Amino acid sequence: MILGLHLLALVLYAAAWVLQLRGFRGGREPGLSGVTVVGGGLAVHAAGLLLYALSYRSLPLVGLGPASSSLALFISLFVLAASVRTDLRAAGLFLLPLVLLLVGEAVVVGIEPTGRQIAFRGPWFVLHVSAIFIGYAGLAAASAAAIMYVFQFRALKRKQFGSVFGFFPALESLDRLNKVGLAVGFPALSVGLLAGWSWTLTFGRGLALDNPGTILGIVTWTAYLVAIAARSRPGPRGERAAVISAVAFLVTFVAFLALRITAREAGFFL
Amino acid sequence: MAADARDGGRADAATIALVGLSHHTAPIELRERVYVDSASVRDTVRGVMESPAIHECVALSTCNRTEFYFQAADAASAESVAIAAVAARAGMGPGEVEAYLYHRHGYEGVLHLFRVAAGLDSLVVGEAEILGQVGDAYELGLSLPDSVGPVLHRLFQSAQAVGGAVRSETSLGRGAASIPSAAVRLAAKVFGSLEGRSAMVLGAGEMGVTTLRCLLSEGISDVLVASRTLDRAQETVAQIGGRAISLEDVWEAISDVDILVTSTSAAEPVVTSDKLGLSRGQVGSPLVVLDIALPRDVEPGVGGLPGIFLYNIDDLHKVVGATEEARRAEAAPAETLVTDHAKRFWRWYRSREVGPLIRGLRAHGEAVRLAELERLLAELDGLSESDRERIEAATRRLLNKLLHPSTVAVRQAAADPNAIDFLDRLRDELRLAASSPRSESVTEEDIESSGPANGSADAESEEPNEARS
Repeated sequence: MILGLHLLALVLYAAAWVLQLRGFRGGREPGLSGVTVVGGGLAVHAAGLLLYALSYRSLPLVGLGPASSSLALFISLFVLAASVRTDLRAAGLFLLPLVLLLVGEAVVVGIEPTGRQIAFRGPWFVLHVSAIFIGYAGLAAASAAAIMYVFQFRALKRKQFGSVFGFFPALESLDRLNKVGLAVGFPALSVGLLAGWSWTLTFGRGLALDNPGTILGIVTWTAYLVAIAARSRPGPRGERAAVISAVAFLVTFVAFLALRITAREAGFFL
Repeated sequence: MAADARDGGRADAATIALVGLSHHTAPIELRERVYVDSASVRDTVRGVMESPAIHECVALSTCNRTEFYFQAADAASAESVAIAAVAARAGMGPGEVEAYLYHRHGYEGVLHLFRVAAGLDSLVVGEAEILGQVGDAYELGLSLPDSVGPVLHRLFQSAQAVGGAVRSETSLGRGAASIPSAAVRLAAKVFGSLEGRSAMVLGAGEMGVTTLRCLLSEGISDVLVASRTLDRAQETVAQIGGRAISLEDVWEAISDVDILVTSTSAAEPVVTSDKLGLSRGQVGSPLVVLDIALPRDVEPGVGGLPGIFLYNIDDLHKVVGATEEARRAEAAPAETLVTDHAKRFWRWYRSREVGPLIRGLRAHGEAVRLAELERLLAELDGLSESDRERIEAATRRLLNKLLHPSTVAVRQAAADPNAIDFLDRLRDELRLAASSPRSESVTEEDIESSGPANGSADAESEEPNEARS
């Protein structure tokens, strides 16, 4: 049943993305149908994770499958929140593939507990992982906005009135989404990292700098700092801030892939 | 009975018709002369309505078309009246103006109005203004006594519904289809909502002011107008609101502006990279510059400055062109929608006509039956009262059974736009039959001369419902 709900969510997310692609090809601003499909996917996805929590009596935060699925849920929440505003519905064009990748990965590796016992558990662990997931989702949203900003900026500067011009939101709207992504994601990531480090400093072996999770956390946090610093410079900031946000996300994503490949502790999120 | 048939025939001859000219058929000079403004529309329509051939009339007049829609007893007479009205306005003879006019009757007329309301017949396909203009024409018609009756009332209400449906159910109306709306679209792609934004117009030319009006309708709150003389700027401000400033104050004020529209008649660029770069300095928010002047008012290098988005008249044409291309792709579904609505209207229209036609058909049959019955009873002397009644009842049943398939066929034909000729011919035949003394005694020769009785086997196999027929 959990797998079935995830498969259904996967289909709905894929359908929503296809609708976005069709709109992009036609150079038309996205309609309400895509939002409805994303909403349906999100509801089914949330039901799948709720069923997981009820079945295994633990939140789906540990293990590659459950953790990927939970992160995907946070990102699709950003997609839906952005889609409520007519002018930001196109954000799904870049965020939905990420959601599809994560849910697809969860389906492939299996959405079930690893059976491993971890020392860090309880409410602080939930806070740590949830806040970090919101941090990653915020960065993904900010970066999707930044990538679209760069494309739209260039279309407007080069006077190319095609698909990008027609489908992508206004620069100001994208700038706002970038700002919101950073404003929500950075504090959340900071809280998540602090919660993890406080626990390891108090009860554990100290800061585990060789832990892939710690490394990714630090890389992401630094990426955020750079993106925020780029926004705070005086003068026309739009394109510069957007490029820096996009590069920061790219660096984080590459770091995530590299750590996944070299991670010693397979079975955990990283 | 014969009189009933004639009445029915006369009522059925009424039809929807239109006479008009548009950008497809007439040059702008002629369209301007023929244009009927709201002040003179009453007199014009009243003059046309004086013709007894015209039952209802609505005049639709815009800068691209002038059309007279009728519900008329006789389309040809009504058209002559309309042609005379157009010719009078054009200052030409009826024969001379005829070359620029088009005529549509019946279903074609309905389809034409629906296409017009949907924006499919417009110069810029899918433009929204025409729907409002169709509504205004109808409202004006309503304000004139007897101008709008049940047919044009329903026709124009349906036309407005079709226009709305095309806009909501297809993408025909999306995008920017004029230079001012392209300007708004470009600004909106930078700023999103234009609510609360500020704009400056340099030069108070007609296009600049029209563009500014468009921006104002999108919520621009702060408007500055600068012109060669302060008086001229103040004149413009008096028309559209905002503040007038002198040309010397432009460079100081420009740092707080989001959108700059230039439409001066200067021979050299007024806005240069040096001046604008210096004025904008470290301003964080973007500036959209819309140069709609020819020759251009803004140095091309301005577009390379950070945070500045520069568009000239060619760029705005490109946006309009992209919209037109997209709209052409959307025209096919819109045409289908319009045709569906026109057919639906036509079914209603013919169904209200079909009653008198069927009554006419039955009256004719009844007249023939009574005449033949009278002749037969005169020949058969000595029949009892009960025999006479039985013969009378038999002829009535015979008539009902004979008329049933014809009645069904007429009802079906009424719903089919391609069957107009059939119904018209039937109406003419009934009228002729009603006016001819021979109609009351159809001979075997008449039947022979009308050709073979097609479908007689089918008619026999039908099980007519007497109650219905």
